[in-house]
Amino acid sequence: MAQRFKKIGIANRGEVAVRIIRACQELGIDAVLLHSDVDQNSRAYRMADFTEEIGPAPSSESYLNIEANIAAAIRSGVDAVHPGFGFLSENADFAKACEKNGIVFIGPTSEAIQLFGDKVSAKNLVESINGPLIPGYKGDDQMLGRLMKEADAIGYPVMVKAAAGGGGRGLKVIRKASEAKEMIESAQREGKNAFGSSRVFLEKYIEDAKHIEVQIFGDASGKVHSLFERECSVQRRHQKIIEEALSPSLDDKLRNKICSAAVQIAQAAKYQGAGTVEFLFDGKDVYFMEMNTRLQVEHPVTEMVLGVDLVKAQILTAMGEPLLWWDDLKPRGHAIECRIYAEDPYMNGVPSVGPLGYCSFPEGPFRRFEVGFEEGDEITSNYDSMIAKVIVWDESRTRAIQKMEQTLKDTVIFGVRTNIPLLFQILSHEEFVRGEMTTGFFEKHFSKGLKKSDWSESEKTLIQNLNRNLVEGSSASGSDTSSVAIDPWTHGWNTSGRPS
Amino acid sequence: MKWLKVEWQGRTLKIPAQKLQGKIWFHLDGETHVAEVSSERRKGNSTGGNQDGVLTAPMPGKILKIFKSSGEEVCQGDPVLAMEAMKMEYTLEADRDGKLGEMSIQVGDQVALGQVLAKIEE
Repeated sequence: MAQRFKKIGIANRGEVAVRIIRACQELGIDAVLLHSDVDQNSRAYRMADFTEEIGPAPSSESYLNIEANIAAAIRSGVDAVHPGFGFLSENADFAKACEKNGIVFIGPTSEAIQLFGDKVSAKNLVESINGPLIPGYKGDDQMLGRLMKEADAIGYPVMVKAAAGGGGRGLKVIRKASEAKEMIESAQREGKNAFGSSRVFLEKYIEDAKHIEVQIFGDASGKVHSLFERECSVQRRHQKIIEEALSPSLDDKLRNKICSAAVQIAQAAKYQGAGTVEFLFDGKDVYFMEMNTRLQVEHPVTEMVLGVDLVKAQILTAMGEPLLWWDDLKPRGHAIECRIYAEDPYMNGVPSVGPLGYCSFPEGPFRRFEVGFEEGDEITSNYDSMIAKVIVWDESRTRAIQKMEQTLKDTVIFGVRTNIPLLFQILSHEEFVRGEMTTGFFEKHFSKGLKKSDWSESEKTLIQNLNRNLVEGSSASGSDTSSVAIDPWTHGWNTSGRPS
Repeated sequence: MKWLKVEWQGRTLKIPAQKLQGKIWFHLDGETHVAEVSSERRKGNSTGGNQDGVLTAPMPGKILKIFKSSGEEVCQGDPVLAMEAMKMEYTLEADRDGKLGEMSIQVGDQVALGQVLAKIEE
């Protein structure tokens, strides 16, 4: 029943849309970008074979709008839709709407999405196969009073999570009884706003645990494969910042345990396509957290250590084709990914928006850049602030860290501030270097953000000299002349424009 | 963008630099820097969060919840309001003890970067 796709719609944006377009191009399939009006100024828009507008900038009216995406998919005559991650990627109604309209949803079935999307039914499934669960409350009674009582019974700290949540949203830690009300309500609100459901559940918050997840893949024949684990312990407010493969802290025994548990969980749901089973590791044992029924942001680190292409595998599996690599998976070396967020590291990570200026991502051996935007593109506050990912591979973890540091030193992004200065601090932190970081690592060491030191005298001189040699990029306004009011230092520095 | 030749700590370097919206961006020794060259720093341009009892929006976004009402006594660290931007929820806390002044915002309002959201009077 193999079906050859001619056209694939991409219901996403940014760097993941670019990633999917590349996979389509390599497979000889046309890519149709389903985009909001503002995303005409993006790299994916320029790369796609066809484009179809789905609505205005706000996600709720475009990237989260099922009808608009389906209508655009039908209009453009696609055989299949790839949802990327975030947005509609884990929306069972969207998968169902695709199925109903004869469009192949590149991912698992809508039943599997529903099963794992509801964190409560997912935990029930894990329970049924005797998988490792965290103690908590996942009952139907959602009254505030009951939830607060259950939180007390579990014992603080307690994590409150939106049952439909993911990506760090709808998730709060209650440290003491007096915070319970506010945190539960906040998680309910975030769940309602982001996922349309205010249902929450409670879990004992395991502090100082590592976030370790297993990449699984269900092939077209129905067999589920383990593609080993990734470690994503460097997180801020439950949003991942640095991920690596494999984890520096699992031994073979624990590795086998979580990989086989992940495969069992996926098999129990007759899972097809790419999926990730997330676990917490407290140094002794592992606990199931949730299963994500989509491609992960951090999938490249797995690709780098195994030499596979997960996006092409997704597309081929959706076409009913067998995988080439399933019996030949041997990890080699170490891969690290850093997410580049448009934010001000000196302002505790406040999003930084505006038009991008000059950007440069210098190539090198085993450096990989997943970039969604180019000079002139506008980074807006409508969407997630992740604008790019930098991935490196090297023979050992130590060398991979060194390579990442050099790669980030070579990376230039003008126009919006980025978290790169923060990434340097993390990469050189002794706890990270030793591989001992837990999910509390960021909060413990970097919760205050970075301190910006004042410009030194020589830096001030340099800046004044640069200023004299530069003309305003886009629109030189009248105010420009008054901006050079500071008296230039005259000694020492010689700047001159280089004729190119 | 221009490649500019500079003398820096005894070395001659060629660095990329660009002026965008009144700010100078340059990449030196593996680090990207941003410098404001205007003599007058526009207010609210790069400040946000809490300062001297003035709570400003640290980013453009939507007001989700207001925990306190005008005239109410607040203590340092008390959550005053919650807002959402770029899909994350942030709580703004009182940065000092005092009485909450008049607030001109409501739940559901879109607010701009640097907009004053609340003032705490001593």
